[in-house]
Amino acid sequence: MLRPEEMTRAVVVGSIESLDVTIECLYELGVMHLIDFTEQDEEFRIGQPLPNASDASQKLLKLRSMIRALAIDSHKPASKLEVSDIRRTLDQALVTLDLNTSKKAEARQRIQSLIRDKESEIKALEPIEPFGIPVEDYEGYETIFSLVGLCRTDPEEALRSRFPDAEVLKDVRKGDVAVAVFALAQDRPEVTRVLTEHGLQELKLPKVTGAPSEVIAKNRADIAGLEKDLERIEADLESIRKKFADLIVASEEDLAIEVMKAETPLRIAASTNSFVIDGWLPTSKVGELQASLNSLCCGLAFVETLPMEKGDEPPVLLKNPKPVKPFEFFIDLVSTPKYDEVDPTIVLFLTFPLFFGFMIGDLGFGLALTALGAFIRLKFKGSVDAQKLGAIILAGGILASIFGLFVFAEAFGIPFHPPEAHPDEHSWESVASIPIHPMLDKMTDINEMLALSLLAGWTHLTLGFVLGFVNNIHHNRKHAFAKVAWLLILLGLFVEMMCIAGHATWTSGFMNDTVRAWVPDMTTEVAGIKVSIPAVALIVIGVVGLPLTEGPMALSEVIGLFTNLVSYTRLAALAVGKGAMALAFNTMLLPLIFDSHNVLFVILGALALFVTQAFFVFFLGALSAGIQAIRLNYVEFFLKFFEGGGKDFSPLRYLRRHSVATK
Amino acid sequence: MDPMVVGMAMVGAGIAIGAAGIGTGIAQGQIGAAAVGATAENPKMFGKGMILLVLPETIVILGFVVAYLIMGM
Repeated sequence: MLRPEEMTRAVVVGSIESLDVTIECLYELGVMHLIDFTEQDEEFRIGQPLPNASDASQKLLKLRSMIRALAIDSHKPASKLEVSDIRRTLDQALVTLDLNTSKKAEARQRIQSLIRDKESEIKALEPIEPFGIPVEDYEGYETIFSLVGLCRTDPEEALRSRFPDAEVLKDVRKGDVAVAVFALAQDRPEVTRVLTEHGLQELKLPKVTGAPSEVIAKNRADIAGLEKDLERIEADLESIRKKFADLIVASEEDLAIEVMKAETPLRIAASTNSFVIDGWLPTSKVGELQASLNSLCCGLAFVETLPMEKGDEPPVLLKNPKPVKPFEFFIDLVSTPKYDEVDPTIVLFLTFPLFFGFMIGDLGFGLALTALGAFIRLKFKGSVDAQKLGAIILAGGILASIFGLFVFAEAFGIPFHPPEAHPDEHSWESVASIPIHPMLDKMTDINEMLALSLLAGWTHLTLGFVLGFVNNIHHNRKHAFAKVAWLLILLGLFVEMMCIAGHATWTSGFMNDTVRAWVPDMTTEVAGIKVSIPAVALIVIGVVGLPLTEGPMALSEVIGLFTNLVSYTRLAALAVGKGAMALAFNTMLLPLIFDSHNVLFVILGALALFVTQAFFVFFLGALSAGIQAIRLNYVEFFLKFFEGGGKDFSPLRYLRRHSVATK
Repeated sequence: MDPMVVGMAMVGAGIAIGAAGIGTGIAQGQIGAAAVGATAENPKMFGKGMILLVLPETIVILGFVVAYLIMGM
């Protein structure tokens, strides 16, 4: 929590004979983040791939081409295959597959291209079929030329009047006119021009002989035969697919892992007799790695830890308790924190559901969101991101239900009891009397909700500056003290706001009695606004401190801090807005349902209520509340301390989805 | 207070937040389009895009403060 997993720089050194076993051991444990070796010298050079690399790569290449030929890229074996079985059967299976699949896939491709050729011949000959002239007679003349094409409009008259000697054949078809023109060679440009005016699209005739109708009939018969062959090949491929798909997919995965392992030496340093693997591993895992190496390599390889040097940038593995983990999703969306930075996941875990719950604040919608979160988690078991998102929605839904039950006392936008000002408003009283009365009413206690939002903002921002102080204190004292100056300005702003609010709301009254009780109670009045002198003093001290620590440019951001604080009033605004929207739909539609006494109106009203509530209030409400809750964290909170840009911890490891290796 | 004055104050409050909202909307529209483009190319830009997107919100927040002060008077 707050800090990522502690990392240690370690080198694994050993005799070159134990390299393969060491690599196997590192992949099995999955704890070492490799640092690629680049600086070669006379002693140490980049390692050579393990001996099985080339054989495995070749097989992998074959398997992948088969996967394409059989179209089984997304095939999922029914059960995981045992690695020892895969390796035992693969070589023989590859021979069988090579003979069948590759040849068949090639034949299929050839047949498909033949069918395409024949079809395009048919397409080219169809327009001249009615003319009955053998295809070879369309060319090979000395004094006349022929032109075949499709025109948009009929060119016959225009051609006959201009070129009386020309032979014009035409066939009016649906949408166009097929034309064949035989004319004197010297008229060629003119004929072409006339035809172009009629939208000519010239056809290139295939090099075949005989009457077009005969050629077409022959081609159709050929295609039918080829399609039969194709069907036979497809059936053969299907049976191969049925028999071998599991094996192919599983062995592709296994070989990919083999190749990855075999090529790992390309990232490490090796001499004639030894190797050095440099990297980072969680401090807690050093002992485990040493123990594994001892037992597997019989003392031929061992781990040496190195002290961290200045400028080292260890990879970052966030470390949070299980319930907090899903909220790392939000960190992934921004940037990984640096190794020496505070990891704010725990703050997100606390504030996101709280803000979200306050904005939704409805028992009915809260329970629906909880159910939605649980559904996503159950439905998408395979997806890590969906699991995290489900947990986040679940947490938000629970908090929304709690706020709805105890604070706002309402469900689906309908209050448990009618508000005092409107005793005839529809409420859950007509269904059941729930003995909970609202602590806050969304329509009347707006000032109270604004004050609560400001309090939340002050607390959140203060925490942000404290984290900023912690981040900076070890390497930049000046920046750390700038955070203190910002804290003073923030406190001054908050005290001044509470001073203006006075005891108008319960929250501001409480803050005046507690926080402001610590600062001297000196106020004056400027232009009709109450001004707390200690608050002004705090702001002035902070403003003076800023140029000394963060530079004069920081002064321009003081107004920004004020807007940051006021920005939290969106918590109240969204809660009120959503409440008002639900109230509006309820006021319009509930009387229709309960007072109309007409079955059709009741059904229509209920349907309209369901759609508006489900879409506008539930869906859009949850979406905007979610976005605003995360935005308050990203913008207002994170900018006070978070830099990011850390390297993700990506150790040597693999994931078997279709195969399983038993030791 | 003269109902005319109250009415004008209310109109003033409305203009303050309404005009500020339009200004923010124009600015956010352009930034949002660019941010979505950047996020489509690299999902890690989501956080940065969001921070840039919300910068103009300062305008509408100040509009809200002015409106709130007018309403309070």
